[in-house]
Amino acid sequence: MEAAVETFDLTKVFESKEDDVKRYVKAVDHVNIRVKRGEFFGLLGPNGAGKTTLIKMLCTIILPTEGTAKVNGYDIIKEPDKVRSCIGWFHGETGGRSLYWRLSAEDNLKFYAYLQNVPKDVAEKRINALLEFFDLSKERKKLVKDYSTGMKVRVMLARALLHNPPILFMDEPTIGLDTISAVETRRLLKALNTELGKTIIFTSHNMFEVEQLCERIAIMRSGRIIVDAPPSVLREMLRDVHAIEVDIRETNDLHKIVESLSKLSVVRSVVEAKNSPFNATIRLQVDDEYEAIPAVVSKLHSLGVKISSVRRSEPTLEDIFVKLAKEGSA
Amino acid sequence: MRVEDLIDLFREDCQRIPSEVRHVWAIFWANFKIFLSYRTWVILETISTVASVAMYSFMGLQVDSRRIALAGYGEVDWLSFALVGVATANYLWMCISRLSHALQHEVHEGTLEPIIASPISMRSYIIGQSIRGFLVSGYFMLGALIVGVCVLKAPLVISLETVLSFVAVILLMVLSYSGIGIMAAGLILVYKKGDPLTFLFASVTEFLGGVLFPLKYFEAFPGLYLVAMLMPYTHALDAARRILLNGATILSPAVLQDVAILLAYSAVFIPIGLRVFRWGVDRIRYEGTVATY
Amino acid sequence: MDVKRLIEIISEDVPRRRTPIHQIVLSFVLRDFKIWWTYKFWLLLELSGIVLFVVTYYLFSLITTPQQVQEAGYVVGGYFTFALIGIAFQQYVHFAVQSINESIREEQWNGTIETILSTATDFKIFLLGEVCFSFIVSSTLLLISLLVGILLGAEFYTTPLSILTTIILTILLIASHMCIGILSAGVIMKVKQGSPVTWAFSWLSQLVSGVFYPLKLLPWYLEWVGKAFPLTYSLDGIRLCLQSGKDLTSPAILSNVISLIIFIAVMAPISLYVFKIGYDAARRDGSLGQY
Repeated sequence: MEAAVETFDLTKVFESKEDDVKRYVKAVDHVNIRVKRGEFFGLLGPNGAGKTTLIKMLCTIILPTEGTAKVNGYDIIKEPDKVRSCIGWFHGETGGRSLYWRLSAEDNLKFYAYLQNVPKDVAEKRINALLEFFDLSKERKKLVKDYSTGMKVRVMLARALLHNPPILFMDEPTIGLDTISAVETRRLLKALNTELGKTIIFTSHNMFEVEQLCERIAIMRSGRIIVDAPPSVLREMLRDVHAIEVDIRETNDLHKIVESLSKLSVVRSVVEAKNSPFNATIRLQVDDEYEAIPAVVSKLHSLGVKISSVRRSEPTLEDIFVKLAKEGSA
Repeated sequence: MRVEDLIDLFREDCQRIPSEVRHVWAIFWANFKIFLSYRTWVILETISTVASVAMYSFMGLQVDSRRIALAGYGEVDWLSFALVGVATANYLWMCISRLSHALQHEVHEGTLEPIIASPISMRSYIIGQSIRGFLVSGYFMLGALIVGVCVLKAPLVISLETVLSFVAVILLMVLSYSGIGIMAAGLILVYKKGDPLTFLFASVTEFLGGVLFPLKYFEAFPGLYLVAMLMPYTHALDAARRILLNGATILSPAVLQDVAILLAYSAVFIPIGLRVFRWGVDRIRYEGTVATY
Repeated sequence: MDVKRLIEIISEDVPRRRTPIHQIVLSFVLRDFKIWWTYKFWLLLELSGIVLFVVTYYLFSLITTPQQVQEAGYVVGGYFTFALIGIAFQQYVHFAVQSINESIREEQWNGTIETILSTATDFKIFLLGEVCFSFIVSSTLLLISLLVGILLGAEFYTTPLSILTTIILTILLIASHMCIGILSAGVIMKVKQGSPVTWAFSWLSQLVSGVFYPLKLLPWYLEWVGKAFPLTYSLDGIRLCLQSGKDLTSPAILSNVISLIIFIAVMAPISLYVFKIGYDAARRDGSLGQY
């Protein structure tokens, strides 16, 4: 079966000029992914990993520097028009910037329905339904400039779904939403995927959201895909990751403390150590948290460090990066 | 509305037939609606149009009417002479800067990204914006002419033939400049700086086209005179004056000559403009700056 | 830099003297200059726009008769000198008033206005700083346009006394338009709309203040409206100086000066008050940084 989205060494290098010195930033670096039709595909990564650039290239908004991709079987460079009519794109980070603020929500949606060639009667039905679903029926005639950020985000979500495209690019769709709408939106996306067989490419920096929804997850870092696996494999990877977090009073020699902690036999690695104004947090990967906690506490105590709390912690993206780095070097 | 209902609604798909006419209509309709939402601006601009026409009528009181005859339209009064000039110059300026302004706005608001990500051709976009430009600037031009003719009694020749000929000349004038307007829009997309090009263009055009005085006075400066004769606007204005001041029509030989020049300019500049525009759009897609300003 | 050291430095109690006003104003001017330098191109454009304007009216003056101008009491120079003075000074104040509004708008766009107003700068000084720079630029443009005019054959009476009187009238002109600029800036802060007040104002003053024609040519009601505009008095005064060689000792000029002073005395408190209302209202509904 043909893939819904397939990339071939897709690469984007941004040029920037700083103090008259040209700098090149590889935002996306030879990415090869293949998303099957009807798949719910998660793209996970910290901010600046290149997720948005990758998505924008697939939506034909940005032209690649090298390589290409096929969306719904069409080449993104040679057949952008065909790609454009079978995708729905949403970008949450803009916070509602990409709407016409001087038009109402209804008019905004009507406008995009025209652009996407949706027949008038169908468009009307869908706009009514979407506005009702996103709880905007009452304000539908109000100009978007008077909306809150959450409302604008909801209009943008409705816009992405309006033409019923087979492939949806959802770039951080829950970022500006309150908890209830975020839950509803996730349910809708899941249903669109399972009931209507839509291919969904979903990006987020929240691991749990992605794990909950997606059938397959790719993790991106510095423009590269470093993991591409189903959530079960990811969970498996993290199964033997045990992490604890220690809060201590703020200190000047954090790196000395980190150094002596990493020498402890119960500590596998120090994931991160952050100093904030009143306390510092150290995150450790350990073999067994029950053994590690007393050892870490007594070590810190002997160093004269004031501990305010110690706890087990759920694995995070950082843990995966540390683990992968270790495996890579081993 | 529950998730299930929404899914049911989307279960039945519809055929989507691409239609350029609907695309053009969508761009026009949305932008016209946005224009109407700037009510204060519309009112103020209307007032300033009326004020400027009034101003010209007082300025005209100081003009030596014998010297106006040098322009070659006979013994006309200066108000009508200037009215035609000012109205057409403003129309041209508003029309050709329309696309650049609109695009700057779209980049600023981030609305260009969703437009690029949808299957509308840039041609439909340009046409839609231009229709909006024609109508809005047409409103102001009509306002100026009506105040001039009805309130200040400028003796323009108004008949069915002259009005139709005038409209045709105006359209040709805009057409002959649209290549430059489209080119400027493409350059602005890339360089993100205001639109110095069209601004400079407008003021030079207004000055050299002989809006307020007969071009005869340029003959002392052959360089300026040559530039003036090379500008399509000079010919459009000449045609418009022949029609509205002397009652010529588009079929009169002198007017036909102007029309031919305007057509030639359109044929040369529009393809160049479109090419530059396409280059601009691809350039910002390559640089990834579709929504950066 | 570790936190403790940072806190030490910040909390070090330096005796806080009030920064002298001229230093604050200077820092604003320097900042604006730096920003402006990156827009060199725009200035060039502004300049060529004004030069074109002057040249256009030079050519227009060729088809006019000097009769009306002379009847109005402006002896030398004819229509071109008359229009040159009108254009140069009208552009001068228009540019200055507009740039007050634009700089405030721009700061709202960029969100820097919140930062500036959250420092302990008094808002009157803030305004003064904003205004100073644009007056430096517009004065330069004024001199250039007058120079271009002279090159094209404008004639002036230039006795020391008439020039001095012109300078006094110019200062009064600036002061009166600063009031108008501040007033509209206050309105802008609240309504966040372009600059409707300046706009209408600029057009109206062009129509009724006698920029392009002597006021005598206007019907009586417009002539009467013109009397409410400070530009009318300034232009009349400046023209009497430069075209008829009059100075402060002549009653015609004195009456213009007095009218301007009355205008300033009435408008200054009103406009500062309106600005304060706009500024407080914007702070109250938290929309200072909005646009």
